[in-house]
Amino acid sequence: MLTRRRLIEGSIAGLLASASGGCNDMGSGRRVVVVGAGLSGLNAALILERWGFEVDVVEAKTRVGGRLWTLDHLPGSPEGGGNVMGAQYGRVVHMAHHLDIALRTPPRTLPSDYCIGDQRISRDSWASAAANPLPEAWRSIPPQRLMGKLNETNPLLKTRAWHDPNLMASDQSADVGLKALGFPNAAIELINANNSYGNNLSDTSLMALYRIMGEFGRLSGPALAVQEATLGNMRLPEAMAKQLSRPVSLGEPVVAIRHSPSRVQVALASGKTLEADAAILALPLPALEPIEVNLSASQTNLLRQIDYHKVVQLHCVVEAPFWEAAGWSGSWWTDGLLGRIFTRPIPNTSRYNMTVWINGDHCDPLNALDETACTQTITQALWQLMPEARDVTSVGQLVRWSIDPYAGGVWALWRPGQAGTAHGAISAPTGRLFFAGEHTAEAYRGMEGAMESGERAALEIMRVLA
Amino acid sequence: MRLRVLAVFLSAVQLGLLSTSLQAAPLTGEQLYDVACRACHSLGTAPDHRVGPPLGGLLNRQAGTVDGYQFSEALRTSGWVWRLPTLLAWLTDPDAAIPNNAMNYVNPLTAEETQRLSEWLLQQP
Repeated sequence: MLTRRRLIEGSIAGLLASASGGCNDMGSGRRVVVVGAGLSGLNAALILERWGFEVDVVEAKTRVGGRLWTLDHLPGSPEGGGNVMGAQYGRVVHMAHHLDIALRTPPRTLPSDYCIGDQRISRDSWASAAANPLPEAWRSIPPQRLMGKLNETNPLLKTRAWHDPNLMASDQSADVGLKALGFPNAAIELINANNSYGNNLSDTSLMALYRIMGEFGRLSGPALAVQEATLGNMRLPEAMAKQLSRPVSLGEPVVAIRHSPSRVQVALASGKTLEADAAILALPLPALEPIEVNLSASQTNLLRQIDYHKVVQLHCVVEAPFWEAAGWSGSWWTDGLLGRIFTRPIPNTSRYNMTVWINGDHCDPLNALDETACTQTITQALWQLMPEARDVTSVGQLVRWSIDPYAGGVWALWRPGQAGTAHGAISAPTGRLFFAGEHTAEAYRGMEGAMESGERAALEIMRVLA
Repeated sequence: MRLRVLAVFLSAVQLGLLSTSLQAAPLTGEQLYDVACRACHSLGTAPDHRVGPPLGGLLNRQAGTVDGYQFSEALRTSGWVWRLPTLLAWLTDPDAAIPNNAMNYVNPLTAEETQRLSEWLLQQP
């Protein structure tokens, strides 16, 4: 049977044959294809162009930016993807400065009250509230700060060596690890209700959580400040793409990559084939997994094993501060379907952006619904919890990263046992294939991790082809 | 014989069997700075928008002493002076060299590259 895969393999074999027949121009020896036009791929492409490489960037989506996605069609242009630039994000800040992308301190998100079950609790009464499930010594800790207790034992406050074999006793289930550290069950349940760094604590490495909390724990004073692009974070990758000599090829999913020790051929769904001396696969692992490519056995296994964090967001616009009459603060932390609700003013208006933000495995039932049913399910829960919101709130955009085939989630997660070696294995070059993306970054995560990984991938190629 | 060797070589090139990595020159100090340092450190002597301190005039500078840059207490009180051995130790493993520093950096360079980069950096005015 002639499948699409066989057809592609056949055409690639034909191309290889034509190259080996001496008909193909071998070119400069410095030609690179970058698959993925997120921050990591674009940063690698810009560095390589600066040093004289010919670079083609191909992107499956019809826009650049990957998991940055400013919702420009909504008032306030909220971020549907990466939203925070840490003050220590040197590469991001420098690139923004270099490209005249204005940054600002984000409008302050309103403080959060709590909903436990159907009980609303004001932030001032959390410690004494009957619905607070925590034991006496823990009652004063708000739910969103419980994970911070990890820094009392965090070895990564002193070192960035999160793969150090001497520390790998912590590369265990965070669920088990937190219990061993004395976290009460109620605290673990609250962390699991809205954990941004794991779909559930059982499947997340405690070392991975130490890494994240260590990053926060080392910061203090001005280093804790965050920024955002004034006109939307998407403006940064858009400006980066404009710097490239050749325009990014948009709407061009890759279906197969064939590589020899010195050549790479990238076959696109459109039927085109790009030839190069090296390729950078700067795309999240769920987007890489369906591409026909010969990787090492360990990388092939990891493609299926490394988990990605699930997020569902419903972006709403609020016309008036409905929470004020009843004395609420405007944002909520809930242990129910709605997850967290972040509300912030839209500058120079009387309106607000309100985002319902659901994390981890709690997204599963929502991701099983179609877009309309998912939106209805979330809004019904919203109106039930706060009927006063209904008349002044309009629904803007549902964002579901897990079911986006070119994302597969918001960021890579490290399962128990993966913090030690999986990161290195999935990032290691295979012949003329190199890897970038936040999942391959060593020191940082998020946007800065993406930029960092682009530097490293460019460096690896320059070593081989410079 | 010489022609036969040439023919074999050409065939190998045509087949793409000879990796150009065989001809790749080591990366220069300038290239290494550009890829691994530039985004966070200028080559001037005055702080700019970048998150790290400028690296111009580094040789024999006391660590943590650039006017107008807010260093970590660890750097300021380290007593280190930037010369080749100290810079190599710092770049190889900043956490081991000066604990509690603020540079969130994991060196992606080989030992030879770190040496080349360090020598080049210490020559920058």
